[in-house]
Amino acid sequence: MVTNVLLTGVGGQGIITASTVLSQACRIAGWQVKKSEVHGMSQRGGSVNSYVRFSADAPVASPLIPEGAAGIMLAFEPLEGLRQIGECAPDARVLVEERRIVPVTVNLPEFSYPDDVLERLQASGRRVTVVPAMATAVDLGEPRAANTVMLGALATLLALPDAAWHEALHGVLKPTAVAINLQAFAVGREMMVGA
Amino acid sequence: MTDTARDLSRTLLLSGNEAIARGAWEAGVRFGSGYPGTPSSEILPALKELGDAYVEWSVNEKVALEAAAGASIAGARALVTMKHVGLNVAADPLFTLSYTGVAGGLVIISADDPSMHSSQNEQDNRNYARAARVPMLEPADSQEAREMTMRAFELSEQFDVPVIVRPVTRICHSDGLVEVGERRQVELRAELEPNARKYVMIPAWARERRVVMAERTLELIALAEETDLNREEIGDTSLGIIASGVAWQHAREAFPDASFLKLGLAWPLPPERIRRFAAQVERLFVVEELDPFLTAQILAMGVAVEPVDGRFRLGELTPGRVRAMITGEPVPRVAADEDLPPRPPTLCAGCPHRSVFSALREIKAYVTGDIGCYTLGTLPPLQALHTCLCMGAGVSQAHGMQKVRGHEAPVVAVIGDSTFTHSGITALVNIAYNAGVSTVVILDNRTTAMTGGQVHPGVGETLSGMPGRALDFEALARAVGIDDVRVVDPYDLAATEQALREAMASPEPSVVIARRECALMVPDYGPAPVLDEELCIRCGKCIRIGCPALSAFDDGGKRPIPRIDAALCTGCTMCAQVCPVNALKLPADAEGRGDA
Repeated sequence: MVTNVLLTGVGGQGIITASTVLSQACRIAGWQVKKSEVHGMSQRGGSVNSYVRFSADAPVASPLIPEGAAGIMLAFEPLEGLRQIGECAPDARVLVEERRIVPVTVNLPEFSYPDDVLERLQASGRRVTVVPAMATAVDLGEPRAANTVMLGALATLLALPDAAWHEALHGVLKPTAVAINLQAFAVGREMMVGA
Repeated sequence: MTDTARDLSRTLLLSGNEAIARGAWEAGVRFGSGYPGTPSSEILPALKELGDAYVEWSVNEKVALEAAAGASIAGARALVTMKHVGLNVAADPLFTLSYTGVAGGLVIISADDPSMHSSQNEQDNRNYARAARVPMLEPADSQEAREMTMRAFELSEQFDVPVIVRPVTRICHSDGLVEVGERRQVELRAELEPNARKYVMIPAWARERRVVMAERTLELIALAEETDLNREEIGDTSLGIIASGVAWQHAREAFPDASFLKLGLAWPLPPERIRRFAAQVERLFVVEELDPFLTAQILAMGVAVEPVDGRFRLGELTPGRVRAMITGEPVPRVAADEDLPPRPPTLCAGCPHRSVFSALREIKAYVTGDIGCYTLGTLPPLQALHTCLCMGAGVSQAHGMQKVRGHEAPVVAVIGDSTFTHSGITALVNIAYNAGVSTVVILDNRTTAMTGGQVHPGVGETLSGMPGRALDFEALARAVGIDDVRVVDPYDLAATEQALREAMASPEPSVVIARRECALMVPDYGPAPVLDEELCIRCGKCIRIGCPALSAFDDGGKRPIPRIDAALCTGCTMCAQVCPVNALKLPADAEGRGDA
């Protein structure tokens, strides 16, 4: 069976890095994996989506998650999570960062950032867990590790061995960033216990 | 292959672009050239990382292909990379290279961008293969990207022809598992002995090569009939699908049990295999992205394929769209709530282009532009870029507009520094030569920003790491005949606006170079300005420069008040400079600034 994870957020949040860590962890575990995203204009503060598809036993065909088939969504920003909620299966797990990043378009008269984004996510019927990843990372002293807090939370939903995650973090991140990110990963994991 | 049989140490997770570089490297490539363009930009840097081959960012795709052709004639295996529209620039050498053929294998990567994720059009470059009569391979994942790049070098040498490999965005920027090997040492294939009849395309000799080309096409069709690059996967024969590249992946995702003729060679096609496959299945569809390229040729073979609705010719395919295409079911529509504010790409906080567009908006200029981060200047709130056709076009367009409207027409061309070297120089020569009057602004941010910050001639650094000679824009402009050349710092808004006004008012052609490093290349300049709420008159001028670090906050006052996100702010001070009442105070004004 193929697991479909959609990672969504804003350019600059480390989404591509997070999806690379996840994909490498799958490779290290000996699983099949494909990951797809779009570079270029989307890096300039725009919405970013990354699709990671993997399986311990079956080949992965399309690099894209079939419409409405994401089993897990990692939303690094609430509005972007809500924008992508239709890509998620009815019984999908949604992990959503609570911190908002307000798009510049709300400075135009025709748009505003809705007040009830988290409520609408909850009302979608998916199982939604709010992850205060940025606040946690700030407490750890490294805001840039927020994406790894989210990965730690994600790890509780997957059967990837911890060793694969750790090796992936070692392989993808700069050596100086590994220690704090391992810590962020562990905190993210703990956060989900009982969530 | 089973998972347990997979040798982990030889199995890497590579993007399609990295896999192409890996394949070229393993195939013994000695020369790599190209021009950055999404989604192809990561191939040459990956080849550079692997080592052994000479690599360069050429000034444009035409030059890149010609240089690679030279390396090939000299006997080396050569790789040249570009995005789909880059092949338009390189089309002139391509069509005649098909006549001359090669010595060392010559492989052209044409990275197409269905759905225009980062492009101005979504042309289908498979048409180039047929038009220029050069074989084309279409990889369906990273593993195939490596293998097909290696095979492309072999085919190029075997058939004496350049070979195009056409990945699309969903191949280039998708990661997958790739089993890799070692680099093969490939010797130079030819002595450097003149062979004018093969490489000088005067009409008499070109007519000879034209015949060689026609014979070669027949040989390539014979290859297509037997090669394992094409393969039949016979499953449930009630549905047969002919597909290639990523479309095949979406099709087998949507119909895992169907029968497939999977084409690795997108041109030329194997008529006999297609007929045999068609005879084996009850219903036959061709699943392909963009143009009915395979469909038209297969129909011309007299093979009946079922029609596909024209809307599936636009944009990328997905598993759901392929399912809908064949079953007639509605396309799964994943719609977001309509009231969500969009989040388009924007000029970064601290982007030096912002003040130029802010000034051009103030001047109410008609701005002709082209491709780069600065194209984003067209979006609200700046809305100060009014044409984007192709690279270099803004400079020529301004000239044409002012030839019919006169120099009083407030027309200005903007072009990036890398783009200027790519295709703006000839347009500037044209202005000077034809007694033009236009003002050309070179947005010189010292990098090729939109594609990830590649070096270019204006910078002088090279991809290979060898020191290059930096192009002097000021001297170049004067040398082509532009006497009015100004250099401004776009972080000085008043000086920028003044230079633009003076240059535009002059009846002479002029060049204004707005020079300041890309905000992504420099550390922050200083602390964020602090708003003095007492002084702020809530005029919104700072908001209208469109900085992502500034937002309009409704605090219950009669109009929103600006708020600064200090984490995003780079301290460029643009907002403070537009403030009419000096309400945005720079902390450094009191404390003394650093080296900004």
